[in-house]
Amino acid sequence: MKQEQFEQHNEASWQDFEEWLKWRHKRHAKRPGKDGKKGFAKAPFPSRELPERYRIICLQLALARDRDYTQALVEHLHRLAQLGHDVLYGAQSGFTRRVLQYAAGGFATDVRANAKWVLASALLFFGPMLAAMLAVHLWPDFAYLMLSPEQVAKFESMYGNDSRALGRVARDASTDFHMFGFYVYNNVSIAFRCFAGGLTAGVLTVFYLIYNGLSIGVVAARLGEAGLAENFYSFVVGHSTFELGAIVLSGAAGLKLGAAILAPHRMSRGVALRQAGRSIIGMVCGLAVMLFAAALTEAFWSPLKLGLPIKLTVGGVLCALSLAYFTLAGRRDGT
Amino acid sequence: MLDTLRPVTTPELIELQLHPAGLMPRSLAWMIDMAVRMGITMALGVPLSALGRFGGGLLLLVYFLLEWFYPVFFEVLGDGATPGKRSLGLKVLNDDGTPVGWGPSLTRNLLRAADFLPVGYGLGIVSMLLHREFRRLGDIVAGTVVVYRDALGGLPAIANAPALAPEEPLDRMTQRALLAFAERANSLTPARQEELADLVPFLADQGRGQHGAARLIGLANYLVGRRT
Repeated sequence: MKQEQFEQHNEASWQDFEEWLKWRHKRHAKRPGKDGKKGFAKAPFPSRELPERYRIICLQLALARDRDYTQALVEHLHRLAQLGHDVLYGAQSGFTRRVLQYAAGGFATDVRANAKWVLASALLFFGPMLAAMLAVHLWPDFAYLMLSPEQVAKFESMYGNDSRALGRVARDASTDFHMFGFYVYNNVSIAFRCFAGGLTAGVLTVFYLIYNGLSIGVVAARLGEAGLAENFYSFVVGHSTFELGAIVLSGAAGLKLGAAILAPHRMSRGVALRQAGRSIIGMVCGLAVMLFAAALTEAFWSPLKLGLPIKLTVGGVLCALSLAYFTLAGRRDGT
Repeated sequence: MLDTLRPVTTPELIELQLHPAGLMPRSLAWMIDMAVRMGITMALGVPLSALGRFGGGLLLLVYFLLEWFYPVFFEVLGDGATPGKRSLGLKVLNDDGTPVGWGPSLTRNLLRAADFLPVGYGLGIVSMLLHREFRRLGDIVAGTVVVYRDALGGLPAIANAPALAPEEPLDRMTQRALLAFAERANSLTPARQEELADLVPFLADQGRGQHGAARLIGLANYLVGRRT
């Protein structure tokens, strides 16, 4: 068949296909709900015919290439095939179900599957923290290696007995919300950077973990030395499980990326990175949600001046629930 | 051929060609997106700052969402392109040619933080300049590629002319060259048409001057099947 005949024969169906793509794009942009208004062209064919029509276009593209039809015709069919391919293979289904399933057990399964990285990250984080606490206990001036005297004074006033709320200077509802926004912005961004830092062969991730561990250890120990331990732990016990846990998980994700660069085993680095990325991106989303929950707690619950026993109980329950979730959830699915 | 095209084979066993976009168009797209983000921040910043510290908290949340999730939102729900990419005709695809989903889009955009190092997208630019398909680090880990996507246009027709049968059968390469010439002839000056026709004297030999190009177009008309 010569090109002229081929074009005459199929022109109408190509135009239908193009019209359908335009129709779908418009509907997509408008979103259902405002349908039915005028100026809304009818689809040239029902959507269920798409796969079949797309396959015919593919077939015609192959024919056009094989029969040496003109470049323009081949390119036109190629574009139609590309757009059809986008629609057919871009269908996202069951987003809510996937998210719920992941929260119900997939997250915990992922964390257990990456247990060695989580352990390494925890050591790099809690090790320096304990070391810093010990150092401050033995030599209180160690704190000034990490923090300036003004910062130390600020921390001591934040947790002082005469401050009206724990962990900050002023306290009212709008300050709570401001702090919430700040915690989300600051903490989640740090966790994401800690993860992304894995691409520097893990160097930056290790630095973030050790540095944050040291800082937290210094502040905790310094406040303890100043006799403000009760106020400090009353503030942090509620959100620390989520917050410290999420930092450790972001470190684990970063370390795994770094390891894919340093030791890709029997794969190219590109493939190793791709595999590592795919296996941890869910965990990174999960830890972002954890940090969001931590920010909620830290902003609205932790500053309350309640008795230490109440705070400890709530913190303990949250910690126990998290541990139960990470050890038990998702086991039924075979992990 | 010396080209940056990336062929992918679809389940229908045809080959689609992806045309990766390089550093310049992507930088421009990034700048447009940056302007859009700043515009949103400012537009929201004025009324929110009137709300005092509560508004400040909201603004921080907005800023956080824009910084990390603005591209993800548009790439997954907006046909693979942020407003900046759309205005330059770019699109993000998985490297097997399928549209990106949540996982790859989140991966490539969270890893922006690594591409940004040490300053001003330094690593990302080096990676894009070294990679055959201009991928930054985030693209490599996510398995995505930023490609050009042309808009649909009409078919250019070969000018109608009396069909002219070749004196002897033409081989495939010659046929292709003839068709490509006839298709492009409309966009060439007559002088350039003649220049090109002179390169194939064995086809355009019926005379120099105006006849050479006209003869080639006649042959092309014969090849596409316009026979009287």
